[in-house]
Amino acid sequence: MGSITSRFQSEAPLHPAARAFLADAFDRGWADPSKFHAESRRTAILLNEAKELFSSHLGVRTSQIEFISDPALGFHLGISGLLRDDSTFFYSAVDRSEVFAVAALHGSESLPVTLTGTAQYPQGAPHDVLAWQAVNGETGIVSAHPSNFAGRIFVDATSSGAQTSLPERWSTALWSSRSWEGPAGVSAFAICDRATWRNPLPHFDQRISSSDLSIPLVMASAIALEAHSRDYEQNRATLSSLNSRIREFLMNEISDVDIAGTLASTVPQLLSFSCLYIDAERLVNELEGHGFSVDSGSACSSANMEPSHVLAAMGLLTHGNIRMTLHNATNVEEVERFLHTLKMIVEDLRE
Amino acid sequence: MELNCLGMRCPLPIIKLAKALSSESEVTLLSDDPATLPDLIAWSRMTKHQFALLDTNKYLVKKL
Repeated sequence: MGSITSRFQSEAPLHPAARAFLADAFDRGWADPSKFHAESRRTAILLNEAKELFSSHLGVRTSQIEFISDPALGFHLGISGLLRDDSTFFYSAVDRSEVFAVAALHGSESLPVTLTGTAQYPQGAPHDVLAWQAVNGETGIVSAHPSNFAGRIFVDATSSGAQTSLPERWSTALWSSRSWEGPAGVSAFAICDRATWRNPLPHFDQRISSSDLSIPLVMASAIALEAHSRDYEQNRATLSSLNSRIREFLMNEISDVDIAGTLASTVPQLLSFSCLYIDAERLVNELEGHGFSVDSGSACSSANMEPSHVLAAMGLLTHGNIRMTLHNATNVEEVERFLHTLKMIVEDLRE
Repeated sequence: MELNCLGMRCPLPIIKLAKALSSESEVTLLSDDPATLPDLIAWSRMTKHQFALLDTNKYLVKKL
């Protein structure tokens, strides 16, 4: 195997701005912010400054933001905290597995999706709950706001990050620090109105989770959020033209490729496509041998040997699947090299 | 014709099915791979075929 020269997999290393701040964050933010020592007061001030940054980038008030360490826990808090005994929980067939896990605990209804990746949202009753995914993390497809839904809305913003457009009416929302090149182990969780939410976890005070949150990592995540948002605004047009170029090449230069969504229906940094008659594991390995790292939703590349539930629910080809993430640093030369290498490998594997 | 792909993993059942249908007008496919059903849906759309589920792991596939 050669070394990776072009990275198209979803995970990214910590943003350099956050990395440069890490040691300082641990020096300054180690104390317990609920105590009254000088160091504690300093930590509390830094935590508030971080909250201000989150607030301005995520479009929620500082009083609505909480931090938790585990995104999977955020799905439980965000959904189960809104449900009552007589609520029906609606979720889409392309939601994340964490949503399915919460749905299995409650009376729930899965909403089918079409080839476009979109679901028809029901009107529901005021006490019903809907999980609304802003952007699908596998296909990049952007969901329309569930304006007609009368109930409470949990927003899954774990893949859309700071670019999430919150619906006019929302109840709870969850973001993952990883989506803006922040550190793992930090998630932002927001509750619009505490009166509509009940903590589903064992608890003894107003704090929503007793997990031992790292305040220095929250501060580093805030720095990453600010830096990533700035980079993204500068690069959005470039990412969009790269995405357009990839789609054009796949449609014209390689036969029998099934592409998820359109340039207009997806975020520019994500792209999923499947090559007919191709074993994804071999394709991913061949690409890696040429210096390209990519993700795949095909069964042969998953731990449980099941195909991606997202591709299957949309009716897209599940074998030969490649998922590309375009990062802020991705450039046209590496995309062109990738496309021509992909074409050569697909032709070889199909022989 | 009957094409037995039991025990084979994706994309082999679809590759063998496409080859068989280049000379046959209809094929009964036996496949227990979890990707076969979703892939038959997508493959039929992409290559203009149709299929019916006859039984568990048993499909009748024809050209459109």
